[in-house]
Amino acid sequence: MKIAVCWKWVSLDREHEADRRWSGVSAADEAALEVALTIAGASIDSSGEVNVICLGPSGADDVLRDAIAVGATTARRIDASTDLDSRVVAVALAEQLRGHDLVLCGDYSLDRGTGSVPAFIAGELSSAQALGLLEVGAADPTSRTLRVVRRLDGGRREILHVTAPAVLSVEGSAANLRRAPLAATLAARTAPVELVRGPHGHLPEAEVHPYRPRARVLQAPTGGSLDRVRQILDVGGSDAHAELVTLDPSAAASKILDQLREWGYLEEPVSSSSGSD
Amino acid sequence: MIALVPVRDGVLPAGAPDAIAEAAGRVLIAGSGTSSATVDGIASEVHLIELGPVEIARWAAALAPIIESLPDNDIVILPHSADGRDLAPRLAALLDRPLLSGATEVSAHRVRVARRGGLELHELRPTGSFVATLQPGTRGALAIGGLPVVHHLDVGSEPGQMAFHDAEVIEVLPPDVQTMDLTEASRIIGGGAGLDSNDRFDQLDRFAVAIGGVMGATRVITDRSWVHHDRQIGTTGVVVDPDLYLSFGVSGAVQHTSGLGHPDHIISVNTDPHCPMMMMSDLAIVADANETLSELLDLLDTAVGTGPDPQRNVT
Amino acid sequence: MTAPASTPAVDAIVVGAGPAGSAAATVLARKGYSVILLERGSFPGSKNMYGGVVYPRILDQLHPEWWLEAPIQRWITRRSTMVLTDTQALTVDFRSANWAQPPYNGATAYRPDWDHWLAGKAEADGAQLVCSTTATGLLRDERGHVIGVTTDRPDGDLLARVVIACDGVNSFLAKEAGLYGDVDAANYTVGVKETIALPKHVIDERFGVRGLEGVDIEILGGTSGVNGGGFVYTNLDTLAVGVVLKLPKLAAQKLRPEEIIANLKAHPGVAPLVEGGEIKEYSAHVIPEAGLSMMPKMTGDGMLVAGDAAALCLAAGIWLEGVNFAMASGMYAAEAAAEALAANDTSRVGLAGYERRLNDTFVLRDHRKLRRAPSLVLSDRVQHLYPHMIANTVERMFRVDNPTPKPGLRRILNEERRRAGVKLKDLATDALDGLRSFG
Ligand SMILES: Cc1cc2nc3c(=O)[nH]c(=O)nc-3n(C[C@H](O)[C@H](O)[C@H](O)COP(=O)(O)OP(=O)(O)OC[C@H]3O[C@@H](n4cnc5c(N)ncnc54)[C@H](O)[C@@H]3O)c2cc1C
Ligand SMILES: Cc1cc2nc3c(=O)[nH]c(=O)nc-3n(C[C@H](O)[C@H](O)[C@H](O)COP(=O)(O)OP(=O)(O)OC[C@H]3O[C@@H](n4cnc5c(N)ncnc54)[C@H](O)[C@@H]3O)c2cc1C
Ligand SMILES: Nc1ncnc2c1ncn2[C@@H]1O[C@H](COP(=O)(O)O)[C@@H](O)[C@H]1O
Repeated sequence: MKIAVCWKWVSLDREHEADRRWSGVSAADEAALEVALTIAGASIDSSGEVNVICLGPSGADDVLRDAIAVGATTARRIDASTDLDSRVVAVALAEQLRGHDLVLCGDYSLDRGTGSVPAFIAGELSSAQALGLLEVGAADPTSRTLRVVRRLDGGRREILHVTAPAVLSVEGSAANLRRAPLAATLAARTAPVELVRGPHGHLPEAEVHPYRPRARVLQAPTGGSLDRVRQILDVGGSDAHAELVTLDPSAAASKILDQLREWGYLEEPVSSSSGSD
Repeated sequence: MIALVPVRDGVLPAGAPDAIAEAAGRVLIAGSGTSSATVDGIASEVHLIELGPVEIARWAAALAPIIESLPDNDIVILPHSADGRDLAPRLAALLDRPLLSGATEVSAHRVRVARRGGLELHELRPTGSFVATLQPGTRGALAIGGLPVVHHLDVGSEPGQMAFHDAEVIEVLPPDVQTMDLTEASRIIGGGAGLDSNDRFDQLDRFAVAIGGVMGATRVITDRSWVHHDRQIGTTGVVVDPDLYLSFGVSGAVQHTSGLGHPDHIISVNTDPHCPMMMMSDLAIVADANETLSELLDLLDTAVGTGPDPQRNVT
Repeated sequence: MTAPASTPAVDAIVVGAGPAGSAAATVLARKGYSVILLERGSFPGSKNMYGGVVYPRILDQLHPEWWLEAPIQRWITRRSTMVLTDTQALTVDFRSANWAQPPYNGATAYRPDWDHWLAGKAEADGAQLVCSTTATGLLRDERGHVIGVTTDRPDGDLLARVVIACDGVNSFLAKEAGLYGDVDAANYTVGVKETIALPKHVIDERFGVRGLEGVDIEILGGTSGVNGGGFVYTNLDTLAVGVVLKLPKLAAQKLRPEEIIANLKAHPGVAPLVEGGEIKEYSAHVIPEAGLSMMPKMTGDGMLVAGDAAALCLAAGIWLEGVNFAMASGMYAAEAAAEALAANDTSRVGLAGYERRLNDTFVLRDHRKLRRAPSLVLSDRVQHLYPHMIANTVERMFRVDNPTPKPGLRRILNEERRRAGVKLKDLATDALDGLRSFG
């Protein structure tokens, strides 16, 4: 099977983009590569080919070499800023993805986090899609069909059969990326990353605010504290805590137990004197 | 403006009520068993379209022309549920409209979308028509008196002819026990990235048990496989509704808190007093969650003797 | 463990990308040798903590004008030593405007920044940094010469002509190489630190500094009866408040380090400096305390040890110097290694240049000079008796009890010495030790 893995490189530090301390790929993207390597390795003639592809700036090259170190056949980067609309990204990726039996993605990227790129890709390639997967079984060599488990809401799951060509996206817990052999790690530092010219453009202007829960405009089902506070919050009160205290660990622990008792979740006080307070 | 709610055997997905409410009660219900989907009291104008089993590509192709045929279709809102978030991009592409995904608020001139792992809100000013997905649980249902007006639509035969390449649903598994005990727990102890190692979650579990609760975790943690994904609380995990929620090192991203229900009491331990989780706590304690957890176990051990002393790892 | 004869992958392996390791890797790389710098953390500094003051003079040799780019928080322009009793605080305070300008003296810095920067320099000079990789053991040839390391990665054996262990305190590699005699806990102290966030202007006001000026306060007493010392350092918008405690004593007292910090922060002399701050992080780490007495052999066949791994650290209650010794010893180890590689003799003999350098420079000179200091500073007398004696003396000197006329200093001293139960003879010897160390 010819498999492609889409890695989104994200930097949380806009000044020093390439600073590896604050940049990398999501657990989901790593899981995607592991799944791809497993499927490729399992294919009978193990002629499996795994190509990792990323649309992003040059800062991404390091992690792409890491991908080669763990066993990716090739790494390719579409040179562009990640500040692009998910559909534009998907179209550019799809260009490079044609001819692959499977495309593996993470279910959500760290920054945009919409989970829409894989679906857009599937649309572009008119492939089947199975997104937000928790498990991916081996591919049947003849029918080229995989059995996968997908998360639905409310703790339900569904079992799907997907036949190549298909786009799959996996949650981070679907697999843990294997560790690269030392020799490979060293060799990969000089491994080539194919470069492709990418699309231009940028996201529509947006005002960025820290997340604050939205007040439920309508009468809330119950007057739970969550709603109460949400309402206060939405009118911008930043010190909405019923009570905010800074404590050292042992004091914090006793405080928690005392509070639980006060609310009646725990019975009579603990006998032993509790820490430093 | 209209909500588009994909259903399976008439079962509404998470976030359907929010999406319908955001569209002021107008909804297009598509999928299987649509007529058995109950939206009484939360919708005013209902369009039903029977599409059979979930096949996203086929559904999208069928729905695009139908949506264009409906009046007042400039804004289409889907719930950001499993099926909603899969369908929305395919639909947006076919309708050639922008997709505003993971919104917490949708109106003609202002859309707020959650970004950066749900810790940022980006406020967009859309011009023209678009498709949006709305985070489940961010708005709550609309309460509408009287029964909705219902219209039955049917698919024009055209899309049927062309072949679509879709995944095939073999079976839907009900929530398993682990998940059940979490959804039904009245006391939930949640752990997040503030807890520094796998072992902390053994401690967290022991603490939860000691106070008659159940352990849950954020997605960052299930992603690390420190905790089984059955225990992930939030919009893409399990939606819970305990009386008591105790959080250790949880930032309170929208996708997590939206799955929390309405606890009567929330206690949070976090080093950042300003993060959303602390904001919505009745008792917000600024302290190291790891040390605090060890201390809690010490206290409970000396008090009620649950298990051996946890090792505190100081180095 | 012996390895199959095979050609070395590189000239040198440096284990540990802390200050020692990065300095070593830089020197070797510059001399044109191939170097691999192994770091177990996901990036250099990710696992490291310390109090927060570095005295990087030694960098003048390695990275001239380092101050133009080094990721520092504040320049130390003020050093105070505080002597605390339960109710009193005596502070000796020194300020120097000279320290506020190049070439500077000391600075506060965050370890993740500092180590990341130093390692980056090593990489820029050609060293290969490999993170998330732990050296798990040594490879030896039939003669017992170290010829490489094993790591926790799949087929992770790595051969080299020489190995420099900069893997920090309790160096697993130095021990495996048999360079350490048996070391007892008495030689270790544990350092515990809280990082407390306060707005910059508040810190500036409380500590009387401006711009990038910063303060380094060392504290004697105030460690809840556990022998040790404390410190308060100013970063840009955080404070580092910590204690360094003698392990045996700590075990004896049933106190937790964090309780001791809490008490220190509650002391009337310290509370006003830290109050209202938000605790950002809490960390603890073992420190090799008392230099010479516990130092290992610095070299073995095919191997050298530098920095904390070689116990080249001064943690004597009120001192905490290690980063400077680490960087220096790393450099010297690398220079010696380079000589040995050039001469194609990396046996102990071939590596002898290292100890020569250590002996001729501040690295061992300071340790020799201060060899009595740790035991002195951490002695029960200095820890528990002198603070009262001194503080009471000063209090009485400044107290005004009219109409009683002021007593003479000598009389006060004598009375306080007796009251504190200090024998004149002990005072004399300690004073002498003190002179020998600091005089
Ligand atoms: C579409 C989508 C769906 C998602 N679905 C879910 C979902 O269902 N459930 C879910 O949980 N997440 C979900 N996520 C992820 C979510 O957006 C957040 O990324 C996640 O909830 C954050 O988890 P966290 O709070 O553990 O980690 P972080 O956001 O990293 O927060 C860690 C917190 O710990 C605190 N901390 C750090 N050190 C300490 C210490 N020593 N002591 C105390 N506190 C400390 C920090 O101040 C911070 O507040 C989803 C994301 C997307 C994009
Ligand atoms: C609480 C405290 C306060 C201090 N305050 C100060 C101060 O204010 N000023 C000062 O100058 N010094 C201070 N020190 C001392 C200083 O931190 C050390 O002396 C200095 O860090 C020694 O540097 P190093 O490179 O030898 O070791 P480290 O800095 O410990 O570096 C060792 C490196 O090796 C890595 N490593 C370890 N084992 C392996 C392995 N097997 N494989 C791969 N990598 C490995 C570690 O991850 C680490 O990065 C303090 C120490 C403590 C504990
Ligand atoms: N710029 C990109 N380059 C490569 N893959 C991407 C990019 N953006 C998104 N993806 C893939 O799509 C998944 C979901 O991303 P998103 O739709 O942004 O949440 C990611 O986990 C990646 O696998």
